Order: sequence, then C-alpha cells, then structure tokens
Amino acid sequence: MRNHVLAAAALLVVWAGGTQAAPPPNAVRPPGKHAEDTCTACHMGLDEARLRTPAQLTDSDIHHTQGITCAGCHGGDPTSEDATIAMSPTRGFVGKFTHQAIPDMCGSCHSDAAFMLRYAPNIPTDQLQQYRTSKHGLALAKGDTNVAVCSSCHGAHGVRQVSDGRSPVYPTHIVDTCGRCHSNRSLMTPYGIKGDEVEEYKRSVHYASLTKKNDLSAPTCKSCHGAHGATPPGVSSVSNVCGTCHPTQRERFDLSPHKDAFAALQQPACESCHSNHEIVHPTDTWIGVGEKQVCGSCHSAGDAGADAALAISSALASATNAIASAQLRVGRVQRAGMLMDDADVKLEDAHQALVLAQVEIHTVNPARVEGQTRAVLGGTGAAEKLAAAAEAEIRYRRTGLFISLAVIALAMVALILKVRSMER
Amino acid sequence: MRLLDALWKALDERLELTPLVEFVQHKEVPQHRHSWAYYFGGLTLFFFGVQVATGILLLLYYRPTAEAAFESVQFIVTRVPFGWLIRSVHSWSANLMILAAFAHMFSVYFLRSYGKPRELTWWSGFVLLLLAMGFGFSGYLLPWNTLSFFATRVGTDMVSKVPLVGGWLLKFLRGGEDVTGATLTRFFGFHVAVLPMITAALLGVHLALIQRQGMHIPEGLEEEAARRKPLRFVPNFMMREGVVWLVGLAALAALAAFFPWELGAKADPFASAPAGIKPEWYFLFMFETLKLLPAHVLGVEGELLGLGAFSLAGLVWFLVPVLDSGSRLGPRGRAFFLLGWLALAYIVCFTLASFAGVFK
Repeated sequence: MRNHVLAAAALLVVWAGGTQAAPPPNAVRPPGKHAEDTCTACHMGLDEARLRTPAQLTDSDIHHTQGITCAGCHGGDPTSEDATIAMSPTRGFVGKFTHQAIPDMCGSCHSDAAFMLRYAPNIPTDQLQQYRTSKHGLALAKGDTNVAVCSSCHGAHGVRQVSDGRSPVYPTHIVDTCGRCHSNRSLMTPYGIKGDEVEEYKRSVHYASLTKKNDLSAPTCKSCHGAHGATPPGVSSVSNVCGTCHPTQRERFDLSPHKDAFAALQQPACESCHSNHEIVHPTDTWIGVGEKQVCGSCHSAGDAGADAALAISSALASATNAIASAQLRVGRVQRAGMLMDDADVKLEDAHQALVLAQVEIHTVNPARVEGQTRAVLGGTGAAEKLAAAAEAEIRYRRTGLFISLAVIALAMVALILKVRSMER
Repeated sequence: MRLLDALWKALDERLELTPLVEFVQHKEVPQHRHSWAYYFGGLTLFFFGVQVATGILLLLYYRPTAEAAFESVQFIVTRVPFGWLIRSVHSWSANLMILAAFAHMFSVYFLRSYGKPRELTWWSGFVLLLLAMGFGFSGYLLPWNTLSFFATRVGTDMVSKVPLVGGWLLKFLRGGEDVTGATLTRFFGFHVAVLPMITAALLGVHLALIQRQGMHIPEGLEEEAARRKPLRFVPNFMMREGVVWLVGLAALAALAAFFPWELGAKADPFASAPAGIKPEWYFLFMFETLKLLPAHVLGVEGELLGLGAFSLAGLVWFLVPVLDSGSRLGPRGRAFFLLGWLALAYIVCFTLASFAGVFK
C-alpha cells in the first residue's frame, strides 16, 4: 500500500532534487476505464492537438487502464469539472514536466517496491537507480537536456507494457527507438559516437535472428548496453557481455593465450575478431593470416600463431569437406528411395561435432580442434559406410528385378506360344 | 493318377461337381474388336489378390497404434527381409488396382454393358469401386506419417459438412474430435476386417453374376461376334488373362524396385500442417474441386454444395442402368455416352492439373 500517497492529499514532494506533485487520493483508482475523469472528458474536446492527443491516448495507456489517472502524474483534482479547481496548483497540479523532472516523476512510483507490488510485482524497481548510472542519466544530471529520459523511449502518454508488440521498447522496435537519437549523426558527434551503430547492427546476425527468425531473445541494443543503465561495455567486460549468451565460447577463450595477450594490449576480447555491432555469421575462412582473415591483424606467416591458425583451418576444412561428401552420397541413395535415417543421425552427429570444433577455435589450440574434427570424420565415415551398404542393396534389388522380369517375360512368351498353338 | 480320380469321384458323388465342370468347360468368351475390355476386370482382381497376399504379410509386423505404427513400418522396410518389397508392392498395387478398376468401369460404361440384365453387376461393381477407395483412404493413414495424418484430418473433416449426421459421422470415423491414435486403430479395423469382409462377399456376387450372365457383346458388334469363333474360357481366355496378369506383375516389380514407396516423417499431431497436403491421386479431382469452390454459394456452404454435387453425380452414375434403359443407342443413350466422356475428361484433367501444380 502506498500509504504516503493515499493519506496525504495535494502535497508537494521534494525528492532527489526534483520537484513533483504527489497524486491526490482520487488519482489512483481501481483498474478500468473511468468515464467520470474530467481531465480526459475536457481535453478530448479541445481544439489544440497538443492538449487533445494525451486524452485520446488514455485507452492505450497501461497506467490509465490500471486506474492511474492523469492526476497520478500531473496532480490536480480530476473529480472537479471546474478547470480552475481541477488544475489548481493548490490541488497539486503540475502542467508539463521539464525534461529533468521526468525520471524522478516516473521514479516516484516505479522505484516504490510496495506501490509497484500492487500492479506489476515482477517489474524491477531499480530503473531510476540504474538510469542515474547511465550515460543518459549522468549527462542529464549535468544539465544536458538532449539525452534520453523515460518518456523518450517509452512515450509520455499512451505508454504500453514492454511485452506489448506495439510498444516502442518491444524487442523488434527497440533498435529503431534507440536509433531515433543514435542514428542522428549531428546529435551524436558531440558525444564521440559515430551514429552508424544502428545501421551496422541491422546488418548483424543478431538482427537477422530477431527479424527473420522472429527470435525475440536475440540481442538488441539493451541486451549488451543495458536498458535503463545504458552505457557502453568497457574493454574488459566485452567478453562478459557476449558470454552471457555464448558461455562456452567465453570459457574456451579464457583457456586461450589470447586472454592475457588481449588484456595486456588493452584490446577487447570478442570484438577484436567479431566486431561489435555488425556481428556477421562467422565462417571457417576467417581463420588464417591472409587478406580478410582475422588472425592476420596480429599474426604474420611463420609465427606460432599463424601455424596454429593454419592447422586449425586445415582440420576444419577436411571436416567440412567430409560432411559435404557424405551428405551428397547419402542424399543420392535417399533419392533412389532408400530409407537413410541411421545415416542422417550419423551426419547430424558429425555436424554437431563440427560446431563443437568451431567453438574450440576460441582456445586457438589445434589439438583441441582436431579432437573434435576427428569425431566429425568418425560420423561421416559411418554415414558413408551406411550409404555404401544402401548402394549395394540398390544394386541387389535391381539385379533381382531384372532376373524377375526375365522370368516373367519367359512365362509370358511361353503362355503366348501356348495360346497360339492352341488357337491355330 | 488313380488316387486323384478316386478323390474326384468321391467329391463329385457328394457335391455334384460335374455340372459345374461342364459349365466351365463350355463357357465361352465372345470375340470382337472390343474384346480387350474383358481383361480389365481380371486385372483388377489380380491386383486385389496381390493386396490380400502382401497385406497379410504386412500384418505380421505392423502395429496399429500411434506410438508404434510409424516405427513398425520403418522396421518393415529397413529390417525385415524383403519387407521393403512387400510394403512397396502393397502400396503400388493399391494404386494400380484403383486404376484398373477405373479402366474396367469406364470400358463397361462406354460399351453400355450395364444394361438389362446386367444392372446388378454394374451396381455391385460400383459399390466395389467405392470399397476400393475406402481401402485406399483407410490404408493411407496406417503408416502414420505427416502427410497421411494431415490428409486424413482434411478428408475426415469433409464428412462433417454432411447435413444432420455430419458431426456424428466425423466422430464415428475419427473415434473422437480429432485424428488420434483412436482414428488409426479404427481405420486399421476398417482396412483389415470390415472392408475385406464386405468386399469378399460383394466380389463373390459380382463374379457369380458375370459367370451366370456371360460376357456382354456390345451393341452393333453382334454380327462380328457371331462371325468370329469365341474363345473357350478355360484354358484360352485364362491363359490370355495370365499374360495380362504377368504384365501387371512386371509393372509392379519395376515400380517397387525403382520407386520404393516413400515413408516420410512420423506424424506430429501438434505440428502445423505442412504445405501441399494432398490425398491419394484418385481423390484429387474431388479435392481440388472442393478447394476451388468459394466459401459460400447463394448462402450455402461451398464445400457442402460440392459434396452434394458429387453425391448427386455418383447417384446418377449408379443409376445409369435405370436412367439409360433403352436397349438401342437412342438420343438418351447418346447423352449418357457424352456424359461418360465428360466425366472421364473431368477426372483426368483435374487429376493431371493437380499433379502439374495448376491449383497451387
């Protein structure tokens, strides 16, 4: 229960440097639409769109549907039909909030665990605290009003739940929401941000998963930078961020000599090879010291790193070729009508082992990679053996067919001759 | 030989078999330019025999439950010696049997062999074709693969459109609201017990009628048939029929060896229906027609209207011996002749167009 809100009517609360109106007791009502709300009733009829639009958006606003009226944020008395009373400062009315006041105003409820428990017990209540540590919050504290506040991302009126597909912070929309500011190069330049990050991200495998495979768990801006505490991950924490979803790769990287070397060079872990925003699907051809190969940025032909890259690349190539060859052979007998489920299982095992070999690349240890590619070759060998047996079976069946057809043809000829001799 | 003669004599004394033997010995098959049509019925019977033999062999390993059906067929085609051959021959023979039955029916229709006194033969043959299609529909589900599962769901759903009894009929066929293991068990029962029992009885009647009434000589060919020496049924016609059967057997062996019948993936009732669900080819003309119909025609549900039209067409086809009762090819006979060609063209065009993907 939010006793301090409900018990005190029309009180001004000074909180964390921001001045805000506490909602009057009748500002918080049982969930549902409230026709008697004079704010919306009056504002609906106003000519000025700036004043009319907020009232029109109430039906889609999560706060309104939960019984938090306009007065919940703006104060005033929503029961009075007299505008001078309804919007009287003595009743706690606050008009338009300043940019700086918005986080505190939203936080007055969203940081109150007891209050939030009544409406959305699963929503965290540390957003304001996180926001203050974010690049946005820190800049706002210094008086920079260009930075994002709550309403910049969630909207001011017509605020929808994050899980609502129409919300600007829904996984499929959040990239464009961040991009509204972060793709604006003139706005970003003073902050040392290039402004092409969103563009780059949209070419990434993560964005493809999100939009083409509809994988809502695919990482978006907030997955790596944080939502309310948005800040770029530092060099040392990049592998922690990526490792959240790719723990095995991270674990293998930690086993590699790259870990200490990258740390000494102040070089980010994953980003050095995979980039940061434009993370494309890696291929085995990346490994090597040639042109457009990632190892070549630090290693050159002849050094130990280049030799290891060559060994890893060669092991992966032979495994990949073995899978392709076995798939071709199994596919050929399948098209001939043979049931090759066993071979499919072996090929799937081989494919899994190849994926594990590709994970082992992060150790940069050829022996570990070769350990997995041997498993690949084991799987493809078994599949090839099954395909060979199926090929033999096809030959056997066709031989049997030709013998049967010959016997049938002989029987037919014999019958025809007999019929002719009888009917002559 | 003496023992055989004694055995025959003993049987003849008790069963009076001599008249039967004399009947067979004296039975003749007329010869004319359309005598080829006499072989289709026998060919259909041959494929039916193959179905019975291979079906019994499949029964030794097949398990009619949703959990085990697919795996048992998989076991048959991969582990059982010659299981692949038996299963493939069973599937191909089923299709060739329907094809031969259609050829038989249309040849009888166009030669107007359905007329008096052969109405009962036509009617029993018509029902036998429906039973063969019932065999096909029920057997299609038995491997319990994705395609058959969803095709059965679509197929059985159509019966729900039947006025008044549709809902009951749907539940009766499915053994519940949806296609489940209960449907599989039920279809298995229809396939291996109910339909074979009715078919065997009706086939007996059909064959007995043919033997009793003899082969029909088409209108206008009486003189030719009188001029040409008829074939003795035993052994001449039977040997010729044997050649046709051997052609059928060779076709079956080649199809089974070169195009083994696919098994597909195990049915997953919770998966979404795959694209391109189609029933067996002999239902395609009806299936595509029903798909083409708009949702509502003059306030009546399109599918219901389509099913009604097919039922009416089936009834007209069934009643042809009564509706076209004239012994000579008069205007009415010519109209039915044209109707036959229209029906054949419709079935062939829709089936081929469906295979060509015209209706996608």
